[in-house]
Amino acid sequence: MKLKLMKTLLLKKESLLGIVLGIILIFIFIFLPLFFDYKPTETSLNIFQPPSKDCFLGTNDVGQDIMSRLIAGGRNSLLIATGVSILSTLLSLILGSVAALRGGMADRIIMRLVDVLLVIPNLVIIILISAYLTPSAIMEIFIIALLIWTGGARAIRAQVLSLKERSHVYAAFSFGADRWYILYRHILPELIPLAMTLILQGARRAIFMEAGLAFIGVVDPNVVSWGSMISHALQFYYLEVWKWWLLPVGGALALTMLSFSLVSYVMEEIVLPQSGGKDIDA
Amino acid sequence: MTLEIKDLHIRFGNKEVLKGINLKLEKGNVLAVIGESGAGKTTLGLTIAGLVGRVVSSAGKDVDNGSAQGKIIFGGKNILELAEKEFLKLRWNKISIVFQNVANAFNPVLSIIEQVAEPVLVQGVRKKSIAFACAEKMLDRTGFPLRKQNYYPHQLSGGEIQRALIAMALVNNPEVLILDEPTASLDPIMRREVLDLLKQISADCAVLLITHDLAAASVLSQRTAVLYQGRILEEGDTQSVLNTPRHPYMRALLRSYPNMTTTKDMQTIKFSENDSLDMGCPFVNRCTQAIDICRNEVPKLIEFSVYYHANRDKQNTCSSNDMKSSVNNMVKEVKEVKEVKEVKEVKEVKEVKEVKEVKVIKVIKESEARNLNYCKYIDTGDDLKKDFEGVRDKIYFGRENLASIQKTKNIDLTKELLDGEIFGNTVSRVACHRGGIVPYLVVHRIGKKYGNEFELKDISFIVFEGETVALVGQSGSGKSTIAKIIMGIEKAENGNILLEEKLVKEKRDKNFYKRIQMVFQNPFDAVSSRMTVMQILVEPLLIQKIGDDKYREEKARKVLEEVGLPSEDIFLNRFPHKMSGGELQRLAIARSLVLNPKLLIADEPTSALDALVQARVLKLLMTLQEQRGLGMLLITHDIALARKVADRIIVLKDGKMVEQGTSSQVITAPVHPYTRKLIEAAAEMQKN
Repeated sequence: MKLKLMKTLLLKKESLLGIVLGIILIFIFIFLPLFFDYKPTETSLNIFQPPSKDCFLGTNDVGQDIMSRLIAGGRNSLLIATGVSILSTLLSLILGSVAALRGGMADRIIMRLVDVLLVIPNLVIIILISAYLTPSAIMEIFIIALLIWTGGARAIRAQVLSLKERSHVYAAFSFGADRWYILYRHILPELIPLAMTLILQGARRAIFMEAGLAFIGVVDPNVVSWGSMISHALQFYYLEVWKWWLLPVGGALALTMLSFSLVSYVMEEIVLPQSGGKDIDA
Repeated sequence: MTLEIKDLHIRFGNKEVLKGINLKLEKGNVLAVIGESGAGKTTLGLTIAGLVGRVVSSAGKDVDNGSAQGKIIFGGKNILELAEKEFLKLRWNKISIVFQNVANAFNPVLSIIEQVAEPVLVQGVRKKSIAFACAEKMLDRTGFPLRKQNYYPHQLSGGEIQRALIAMALVNNPEVLILDEPTASLDPIMRREVLDLLKQISADCAVLLITHDLAAASVLSQRTAVLYQGRILEEGDTQSVLNTPRHPYMRALLRSYPNMTTTKDMQTIKFSENDSLDMGCPFVNRCTQAIDICRNEVPKLIEFSVYYHANRDKQNTCSSNDMKSSVNNMVKEVKEVKEVKEVKEVKEVKEVKEVKEVKVIKVIKESEARNLNYCKYIDTGDDLKKDFEGVRDKIYFGRENLASIQKTKNIDLTKELLDGEIFGNTVSRVACHRGGIVPYLVVHRIGKKYGNEFELKDISFIVFEGETVALVGQSGSGKSTIAKIIMGIEKAENGNILLEEKLVKEKRDKNFYKRIQMVFQNPFDAVSSRMTVMQILVEPLLIQKIGDDKYREEKARKVLEEVGLPSEDIFLNRFPHKMSGGELQRLAIARSLVLNPKLLIADEPTSALDALVQARVLKLLMTLQEQRGLGMLLITHDIALARKVADRIIVLKDGKMVEQGTSSQVITAPVHPYTRKLIEAAAEMQKN
């Protein structure tokens, strides 16, 4: 199943494009700083510079290198994407499978919590909390993750409910296995494809949300972020150089989102054919 | 006049052939002694006839013919102590014997009539003509063709010689007749005639029938004793011994015996290489339910009245807390029943209330839970009985035979319980530390509701150790649900389950699953697609934490070979999606055998297999039954299959048991219309 999944991902045009794009972006964000003068927060006297040999994308109003800032923003986005996706998927896995396996009261409590969180618009809450706390990157991860695990938990619960009725799960039970063994050995392996889809989706949403929050300026201003770069560029639209501040950042954001979207789109088609590739919680 | 054998030991040199036999022969009764060759049957007969166990003078010399201990009391005297001279007056006069080997029993140079008349002459009749007249009369009575009376033995057929032998034994009108394999070498028609003759004769004297022919024992005898290595293992009413054997050995004898009334035969049991030890049960090496005590102590014959009202030793497992609580529940139930009665007969009951209560508790403490279950189990059948008022005598509940069902008609269970004597109409004896074949799994009044409707109602049955019970019924009749309830996968609303005579708690422990395993219905679903064959097979061992890696691998290969799958590495590393349904099913069966369970619940184990593989798998399971007493609860919709594999069949319809009985009874004389329908729908090769 796992092999089949990878194979299909590489065979499909969309997902192949997404994977290639993702690899390039990750390469840029992680390795490119090693090859040139990387100083995202350092100010200089060379302000409002257009792209040149020294700085590929020019400098901003306080002489910071735009290229360096772009990469720093990408790193920040990746960090948040990774943190949020892993955390929220873990939450989905744990709470979803607990609800399905325990049933009864636990199921009811968890699923009502999911309903509540789904009804309230996430973005509004996040903006409110962020405006109050102006969170750092780590805190941001927690806030976003705690709000977006719900859809995944629903999907996991449904999957576990059907899995636990399978004969091989009963068989393991009839060898005297306890609940943890069954969860670990028989149920979790079957959830891996779904969990991977959830991770990709969470990452995509986290990047978008982080950029949005930074754009409206409710996060820690010391953190270099694509969102804050965009909002900063827009303040200087009367100057010639502003497009060098905006377009590369917007492009990087779009490409990153596209890469995640393409892969998770195809993956969902494989893992959950009935969803037709739609967002799980859409 | 009766002949009584008391604690008889016979020893030839160092070898003790009979070890403490206690039997009683009564006039007009036939006692059959059955057992395999070498069990000591003939020695017993010869001892009674005074030919073994005493000093006999032969051709002028004294020959030691084995030494005897104990007593054989006949006519008030211990005939073992009689001098040879005195014994001569008894032999062929009061006690006579029909010898085993038909061809060699007669002197080849004397005519038949002379030999038949010989006992008369020896016993003091001087005139030859009178003796000959007696002989002729007796030959006529035994159906010997009189025109052949002057023939020599070699001129006669086996049947005729057998008749002449019987005539010779009867010529002095003996009081005790010993028949040593009277039908062994006869063809079926002749055998039938001889049996009829013996039946007529046996009315007048006490007969000891020595035979390995179970059918002969069934036709002739009233009581049967099973002899094994010089000890009696079971003794009782012939019909109860043959229909509901209590000792595993007797059941093995029955299973191996081909006849027209059983459907599952030609089964054997394991053979042991070493002879039985002097200590311990003689059967221990071949027994599949032996426990420690069986090796160290010779079991005594324990009396029990039929239907599990035994008084077994107190030392066994039943005294545990589980048992106590279940017993307490039963006491409660009995009391409740009584209270209902009280409303009806307030006065009467009140008077004896106190006495009765003490008695209830006493009775319940004395008898074991299984006895009670069994009683209540019969009670469960009342619903069924009402449904088929006209024909209810033919419905069999559990192992009851016809007579007992008649006896239970209109029975007041509470009263019977209080009286202690429940259904025991005859007293039998069995020599087994475990009280005979253990009721391994007792399912008692299981009910399950879905919504307000009962999906299962009052399901009660017993699977004995080493026995196969088939649950037959349409899909949707609740068969699989029963299996899941037993395994603890689903919960029952009411009812109890007893495993090895202990109440099973709702939360099963690991030990439970070591003893009882299940084969699931759908082979494609029953194994995880993410595990290799090897991982699948060692999973139960891992969970139960048995053995190390090496042991587990060996075990995995062994079970694979047992079910006829390859055990090479390449197969062990294969994933299930590369295997066919048949292979997967066999893999699932192999996995369920890895833990060496004593009971296998098989839910349609062969529905995915073709007939050849099916035959192979079922043969394997039956071999395991022979080798280690694997009990099986076979769930199937194929009554033709059940007939071949199962000892007993339970027919299920809409969650209720509609018929239960031995396979042959259910197949040949189905009572419930639904059973008939199932049988009509079963596979047939010939069109009528």
